[in-house]
Amino acid sequence: MSENENNFETLRQLLAHKRQETPPPGYFTDFSSQVAARIRQAEAQPQSAQEELFSQAPWLMRLLQNLELKPAFAGAFASALTLLLVLGIVYAERPDSQPDLVLESSTPSAGTFASAQSSAFAPALSTDFAASNSAVASLQPVASLFGSQSGLVQPVSFLPAGH
Amino acid sequence: MAAPAPIPIGETPLPTDEMELVRRAQKGNLEAYDQLVQRYQERIYATVYHMTSNHEDANDLAQEAFIKAFQALKSFKGGSTFYTWIYRIAVNKTLNYLKQRKNRFHMSLNDLDFNMENNPDLVALISDKTPRRDAGLKELQGKLNEALLKLSEHHRLVMVLHDVQGQSHEEIAEIMNCNIGTVRSRLFYARQQMQGWLADYLKST
Repeated sequence: MSENENNFETLRQLLAHKRQETPPPGYFTDFSSQVAARIRQAEAQPQSAQEELFSQAPWLMRLLQNLELKPAFAGAFASALTLLLVLGIVYAERPDSQPDLVLESSTPSAGTFASAQSSAFAPALSTDFAASNSAVASLQPVASLFGSQSGLVQPVSFLPAGH
Repeated sequence: MAAPAPIPIGETPLPTDEMELVRRAQKGNLEAYDQLVQRYQERIYATVYHMTSNHEDANDLAQEAFIKAFQALKSFKGGSTFYTWIYRIAVNKTLNYLKQRKNRFHMSLNDLDFNMENNPDLVALISDKTPRRDAGLKELQGKLNEALLKLSEHHRLVMVLHDVQGQSHEEIAEIMNCNIGTVRSRLFYARQQMQGWLADYLKST
């Protein structure tokens, strides 16, 4: 352990000499004025659409940076998007039997609500209102609206005059 | 609300207090900001240089860090020192740059101070009992930088801040936004790695 420490000390001393690696003489004389000039230049230039967008939505810039710098993040993001797309397609292509179910399941609860409401407000409400309310609540599914073989359909034939 | 009028150069003597300089810079006073830049330019530049081993990259990144800091200065609330805050900006900028540059491996050693070759302290470090004692200091510097670039960015940063620039563990933890234990373990690991890579060059004791 102590040998390691000593070795580290040698390494540390060697690294400390890197402080002597300096830029060309006079480099720092102009450094701050160059920074100031670039700041003035940036202030004078109108912001590009991209810069404006990034200043309005810094999260977007962070997202793009992460996508660029972290391949794993980019992969996960792409996978999530693909999964969402697939789910959307699967959901969109499911058989359209949901509306009936929704209506059937909603009917009792609506009826319950109406009956609860009518019982709660019974002394205050008129019987007409209660009746009309329950009528609305007890809507039946309109299953035979289209394509049904109803007995009410009357066949029509056109015969020429004189027959 | 009207923008504050710029203070003409030389009209008001600039304060030496850092927070006062920061307050003035926040109001758009470029002369005050210039003072702040001058205070930290060498340290920021050195950190970026030792991380990239390239003068041009260090120049661009250090300047961009100061420009970004000026643009974000209004968001500086004084929760940390200005020094830590600006360091954090420079470090993040450098780490992002290094991640983008990962595949582009190059160094420029043209800015080394070659008076180092005659530095007796440095000569003593490798002069005897080393398998590669005939290696020139220039070669050693090359190997040292090469080994540094082999470290991961976070390990290199800890080593540069601590062993090259002499910052404390606490300061490094604040700059890197991690705890001191992490700094210590990264430093130990980085030293071990470097020790292994440079074993032939370092004087054994």
